[in-house]
Amino acid sequence: MKVAAATPPSNVGALPLDPSWVDEVLLRGTGAEPCLFLDEPVSRDGLRRLVRTRQTALSSAGLVRGGSVALCLAPSLALVANLLAAWRIGAQAALLDHRLTPFETDRALARLEPQVVVAAAQPVGTGPAHGFYEQREIVTTRPGRPARTSHAVVQLSSGSTGPSKIIGRTAADLVAELDRYARIGGVPRAGQRIVSLASMVHVLGLVGGLLHCLHAGVRLAIPRRLTADGILATVAAGPEPTTLLGVPFHLELLSWVAEPPRLPQLTGMTTGGELVRAQVHDAFVDRYGIRLGSMYGMTEVGVIATDLFGTHRPELTPAPGLTLRAVDGELLIATGQSPYLDHGPTGATGPARWDDGWLHTRDGGEVDPGSGRVRVLGRLDSQVSIGGLKVDLTEVEHTLAALPEVDAAVVVFGTSIEAYVVLREAGGTTARIEAQLTERLAAYKRPRLIHLVDRLPRTATEKLVRDRTALRDAGQL
Amino acid sequence: MLAGFGDRTPEEVPEGIDSMELAWLVHQIEQRYDRHLDDATLARMTTVSGAVDVLAALGPLTGPGQ
Repeated sequence: MKVAAATPPSNVGALPLDPSWVDEVLLRGTGAEPCLFLDEPVSRDGLRRLVRTRQTALSSAGLVRGGSVALCLAPSLALVANLLAAWRIGAQAALLDHRLTPFETDRALARLEPQVVVAAAQPVGTGPAHGFYEQREIVTTRPGRPARTSHAVVQLSSGSTGPSKIIGRTAADLVAELDRYARIGGVPRAGQRIVSLASMVHVLGLVGGLLHCLHAGVRLAIPRRLTADGILATVAAGPEPTTLLGVPFHLELLSWVAEPPRLPQLTGMTTGGELVRAQVHDAFVDRYGIRLGSMYGMTEVGVIATDLFGTHRPELTPAPGLTLRAVDGELLIATGQSPYLDHGPTGATGPARWDDGWLHTRDGGEVDPGSGRVRVLGRLDSQVSIGGLKVDLTEVEHTLAALPEVDAAVVVFGTSIEAYVVLREAGGTTARIEAQLTERLAAYKRPRLIHLVDRLPRTATEKLVRDRTALRDAGQL
Repeated sequence: MLAGFGDRTPEEVPEGIDSMELAWLVHQIEQRYDRHLDDATLARMTTVSGAVDVLAALGPLTGPGQ
């Protein structure tokens, strides 16, 4: 395979992170100008003060340049301040989704080995997701290890072999993505506003929402209540030309409003995370009379290709500076270095996912040789999207199969995650299995339905069959 | 109400309520009852039984969706 880029992978070795980019790229700007709206406006000066305060707190906990911190906070002003403070120190920040169970968080911390952990004093309760929360931080120092690479941010994604993949992005990589946003037509500019519905713990809300807004002078508003009423009230609260940023989950939610209020400032919506079904797209455009754009990206790279005016649907134009190609039906992206920090099985995260300057997306797709536009055709592995959150069914299956009373399990996805389970001994119940999964898997990863069966269908070579019809015909108990 | 989401029969609705179904329920309640429920109340609606209890406590419909 030809080499896509000359930059050697060793560039992400243990170089200390240069913190100057935070002030230069993210925090510069007019002091009194509001930049964030989380119910109340936060000015640039206010944010800078907040970041300095958190920087002092993290430094007092022993965080230094080249150190490591894990942020276990829900989307909040506290998360923004702690993240920017960690970067301003020159530390590597790992973002852990607050919806992970304590079991998953502990396992992630054991793998990441951060020196400092910032968690919330009160965990977020169950109930509908909010755009942001009030979070009071508790800072804990641990016998962890300094950053082993110069990545600024580390994120975990649902893993195809069970454990999550550890994905790192350097400051230079984040700045390059911000440059892409600045060059893509249709992305909101200075003086405009984004109402973001996408979690800032994940790449779309983090870079496409928070970091782009700070960088480009775009006002960022986040609704507290992620209901249709809550979202539309946040749009109505500001006069600036406004773009909604979310995932198809939010699109559907907004499409339930029979007669949306007249909102002349609402000029468009951009969705990422997964493909938008044609009927959902058309229903939304009919109802709101605004442009609906699509964005294709991944945690490892950020924004990859866009169609922000919906003119080439379902095709997308590669973002400026990115090179894509399709090999054997899979989309590959030229990246200078592997984004993976794992030292786990190489088949999942090593050469098979990144090879000679090409990142394997595991997305099926085509690149039109004439226009250069991309068509994304869906996943080639077992990853599915639940409300915009990526879940690898293999992770669910491994967790289920590891329970003491489970002999074998197959997890499939139709309209929701379903599991077919063979128990080791008679007498087990789905309630008992569900109770154990509640400890081990975040709610969005858990099967909605668990079917107890006396056997799982297998091929002639004893491989498990994952066909839903065959599974439904398996001997139900 | 939940069966109407995704064109299912009531028998096909699992006892657990996922995030999209909860969002749908919240939307329906806000439209039909013309009121917002606090987080503590909504947090009880993670199962069909819990949602039934919450709806029962709300009393008769007063909103335009009745």
